[in-house]
Amino acid sequence: MAYILQQLLQKSAQRYPEKLAVWARGRSIRYRELEQRSNQLAHLLRQNGVRKGDRVGIYFPKCVESVIAMLGVVKAGGVYVPLDPQAPAERIGYIIGNCGICGLITHAEKRRALDPVTLESLAFSLLTDEAPQTSKGSGVIPWTVLQEFPSDIAPSVTLTETDLAYILYTSGSTGRPKGVMLTHQNALTFVEWCAEKFHITSDDRLSNHAPLHFDLSVFDVYNALEAGASLYMVTEDLALFPARLASFLETQEITVWYSVPSALTLLLLHADLQADKLKKLRTILFAGEVFAMKYLQQLAERLPQTDLWNLYGPTETNVCTYYEVERERLPGMDKLPIGIACENTEVFAVNGDDEIITQAGGTGELYVRGPAVTCGYWADPEKTGRMVVPNRFQHNFEEKMYRTGDLVQLGADGNYYFLGRRDSMVKSRGYRIELGEIESALLSHPSVKEAVAIAVADDIVGSRIRAVVAFQDGIRLTAEELQHYCGTRIPKYMIPEAIEFRAELPKTSTGKVDRVQLAQESLQVALK
Amino acid sequence: MSTTNSIPAAQPALREQLREFILENLAHPKGVTSFTDDEPLMETGVIDSLGIFRLVSFLEDELGVRISDEEINPDTLKNLNTIEALVIRKREK
Repeated sequence: MAYILQQLLQKSAQRYPEKLAVWARGRSIRYRELEQRSNQLAHLLRQNGVRKGDRVGIYFPKCVESVIAMLGVVKAGGVYVPLDPQAPAERIGYIIGNCGICGLITHAEKRRALDPVTLESLAFSLLTDEAPQTSKGSGVIPWTVLQEFPSDIAPSVTLTETDLAYILYTSGSTGRPKGVMLTHQNALTFVEWCAEKFHITSDDRLSNHAPLHFDLSVFDVYNALEAGASLYMVTEDLALFPARLASFLETQEITVWYSVPSALTLLLLHADLQADKLKKLRTILFAGEVFAMKYLQQLAERLPQTDLWNLYGPTETNVCTYYEVERERLPGMDKLPIGIACENTEVFAVNGDDEIITQAGGTGELYVRGPAVTCGYWADPEKTGRMVVPNRFQHNFEEKMYRTGDLVQLGADGNYYFLGRRDSMVKSRGYRIELGEIESALLSHPSVKEAVAIAVADDIVGSRIRAVVAFQDGIRLTAEELQHYCGTRIPKYMIPEAIEFRAELPKTSTGKVDRVQLAQESLQVALK
Repeated sequence: MSTTNSIPAAQPALREQLREFILENLAHPKGVTSFTDDEPLMETGVIDSLGIFRLVSFLEDELGVRISDEEINPDTLKNLNTIEALVIRKREK
């Protein structure tokens, strides 16, 4: 049984060396080559100072080299940090500093956009695109150098399953993203659960729709490796065009698809999904946001031969509950459950009296315990202490549990149902968005006196963001100028789509901004 | 910001109409304040998975052209030049 992720690749490379491992943008790599290149990369990283526990950023648009990079870093004993290729340079620079990233595997163009101070802090930048001559600077290494390193065996590193494998940064409520630390054990707990539940075999062909900094991709990459299956990466040239994406599903004979619900809704609305063209598509998994029932029902009708599963869980635990869609029940359902705990994970809901809910109808905050749970946030003991707490319900030994901040209800059917959040975190296209992070970005502009970000419910993407802003006296900016400013600090999907200006924001009796009133008012305003 | 054209505007009024729609509805909400005629709009994140359909709806509803699924692709919607060319082509039919 594998205890570290690279063993999944090692085993499959032994069994299926000639099998296609990863496909992206018309290029592909076989298992043998994936094993060899990642071994070489691991040696290169060690030579450039990477030691056990060191963080290496992966910062380029998805391609075959992405998977080589992930495996190469863990084989070197390092911890990879997938960085969103579409995030503003300032945010990437922040993460590099916050995480103590020692080097990057990146593209020349992406590297150039980073702040010189950030670049100075890096021991190396390994460029996977062919433009070594144009990039100057210490530590710039072209990908071609890989072939100089041993390929048949990885460097000798002592790792255990409790060592970190990767860190995923998510939106932070106090204005800066937070790095969720995940060990090999965290990842394998999830991968092994999926392998068992979804019966992934070497005959499967998995798509990878999610970006690599999003934990859905852990299933795509590592369950493919685990089974000796083939991975087909979905890049923007496909993802943005539902008709092409549907063609891709058909041509590549994808057997298992995992994505956020909005990607499925767009396929449903804008591509002609035909069950007889998608005979191979045996399983669809979705997670990350609430799937509007009407669209799920339509999808179920369109693809009667495909199993549909709702998976739920924050980045801090990966998937912790699941529900297999019961087709007979669908027409009568107005709400889809998040289901029951995954095997090898335990969840429970704690009510306002600090009791664990056992009766149907009870509601409370969902907590998670077990080997899936993160050990915390990188360099943030304060947030770690708040969210990864001692399990006060465990009397026999000390252990931690994670408080999800999600309010749930236990149904009569034994399933949990999601009710809402305790705080102001919202989902849009499956992306986690802390309204506080958007507000911090707005407030950081010297002309902004007050700012509130509001989420407006949307059938397709979950939430759309708008903002209400009050300026410092005498200063005015246009909405476009403020949106542009936001774009230098937060990812595009977090930028408010509409900004309303007021002289003053309404206050509650205690003098705080009255968010509830603003949210109610925004319900009246139609977002185009 | 000045616009660098690689193709002279075949129909300046149409081009401006397209530019204005994209600016107001797609670029500004992504924090992008301007773009050149040949700048790739999807690569820069101006057009995302929702934006594609808002653009197509605009072309169909406001400009009266019918776009087929195959014509919604990375080549036709690459930049302002190609979008203008698409509309002109469809109008000529």
